[in-house]
Amino acid sequence: MTPGPPPSALTRAHPFTPLTATLAVVFLAFLLPAPAGPVILAVLAVASAPLLGDGGALRPTFIVVIPLWLLLFLVQGVLGDAPFTAIGPLTLSVAGAREALAQGARLTAIVVPSLLALRGFRAARFVDAAAERGWPFSAAYLVAATLQTIPRLRHRVSLIRDAQRSRGLRVRGSIVQRIRALVPLTLPLILGALADADDRAVALESRGVAAVAVPGARRTPLDPPVDRALDRSVRWGAVLAVVLAAAWRVIR
Amino acid sequence: MTVRFDGVSFTYPGSAVPALRDLSLTLAAGEVTWLFGKLGAGSSTALLVAGGFAPILTGGERRGSVRVGGLDPGDPATRAALAGRIAYVSAQPHLQLSGLAETVFEEVAFAPANLGWSQARIREAVPQALARIGAGHLAERVPTELSGGELQRVVIAAMLVLAPEVWLLDEPASALDPGARAAAYGLFREEARRGAAVILATEDADGALEAADRIVVLEHGAVAQDGDPAAVLASDACWLLGAGSTTIGELWRAAMDRTPAMARGSVPLTLGAAVQRVTGR
Repeated sequence: MTPGPPPSALTRAHPFTPLTATLAVVFLAFLLPAPAGPVILAVLAVASAPLLGDGGALRPTFIVVIPLWLLLFLVQGVLGDAPFTAIGPLTLSVAGAREALAQGARLTAIVVPSLLALRGFRAARFVDAAAERGWPFSAAYLVAATLQTIPRLRHRVSLIRDAQRSRGLRVRGSIVQRIRALVPLTLPLILGALADADDRAVALESRGVAAVAVPGARRTPLDPPVDRALDRSVRWGAVLAVVLAAAWRVIR
Repeated sequence: MTVRFDGVSFTYPGSAVPALRDLSLTLAAGEVTWLFGKLGAGSSTALLVAGGFAPILTGGERRGSVRVGGLDPGDPATRAALAGRIAYVSAQPHLQLSGLAETVFEEVAFAPANLGWSQARIREAVPQALARIGAGHLAERVPTELSGGELQRVVIAAMLVLAPEVWLLDEPASALDPGARAAAYGLFREEARRGAAVILATEDADGALEAADRIVVLEHGAVAQDGDPAAVLASDACWLLGAGSTTIGELWRAAMDRTPAMARGSVPLTLGAAVQRVTGR
């Protein structure tokens, strides 16, 4: 695994809390009335990043969402149906712009907490928390390994890129050069990941994983995270918000 | 635990050529057995088969009988019974990390935690294992930030903590400096004296010669020679298999071609033996 994330409110929280909150935001982004609900969620999500001690998550967020915002406004706003309204030199479809705003806000509201949860994820704490709750090890490992895929692949990409550059591959420059560089970067990435999977399976097998795969067997949590009242409140609050929003959707 | 192969053949998926052919071998507890052979001779595959990793994880087809302490490691039903009793160390320590540890301590504690040891027992055993391999000072380091040699010691400690009954070692000292390598081989000998069956697959003849009680030379997946390490390694028959020898042994054989007088008597394998041959003292 790559080195752990820097300390923040997210790394100190019980590992289930950021994941539960993220899932709740995903549901709320679709349950709350658009565009106001998603816009409020997006604003709260963006504001929460620096408050939770990881303002750095906003840079990759904006890199992902800004092009998508532009695309949505182009497709929905410019090419949408009448009535139209003029904003400066642009003529926008009112319904289309509204839809673009809702979708863009949903996207932002989902991306920010997802990135925050990923960046603050500590696999060891998560597995300890899961073991303490009696989760099967295989389930906990599956979640932990999945959430570590991106940082692990990023680490591997940087190794492959350095290796290929040392052999003369140009990974910067024009779009054509960058596209040409993709094959020598992605092929070793995929083949290496596949080859590593076998070796890692052997490694895990030799580290007693078979013992904890037996039904009823429990892994010993080494340093189980404290589940504070604040953590429990956030998780229950998130679940309650989703239930209330779902109920509102049903009865309105 | 004794490791027994009876007529074992193994073929990897997609390969027409078996990696092991009718291999029959008994590897005793309390001994360091050195599997030697040129690349592709089957040493690494023999370890994977002994650990049950082949064919369960690698795929492929195994024929014949493998027993570790009377149990078939290739039978999924026996996996839990053998968990923690068979240690496996490969030449690529970075691929042996659990992926779940932020510190070396947690990495070494990974297997004991899986086996359900108490926290108190883990906290006592992990520092001892790290200290035995000279890695006590690494306990709070991040595993992925270690050098290859440090990582190899951590992986050995991660197995050592279990006090396994069988050690399957595939080039376990490849990333170690000479001092650490000698310490590692010394440790494997200690483990054999404790009663473990230590099976060492390596091309590092200099190190293995000091550690091994027995050498099994493999060729094309079958036993070509079996016996005392010094006697087998010094023999022309072993040399002709192309697996190599110790540094001194290879140097001596190269010199023998030009100096026929050196061909008289057995080939020395160590510096001390060579000096004795040359000076007569």
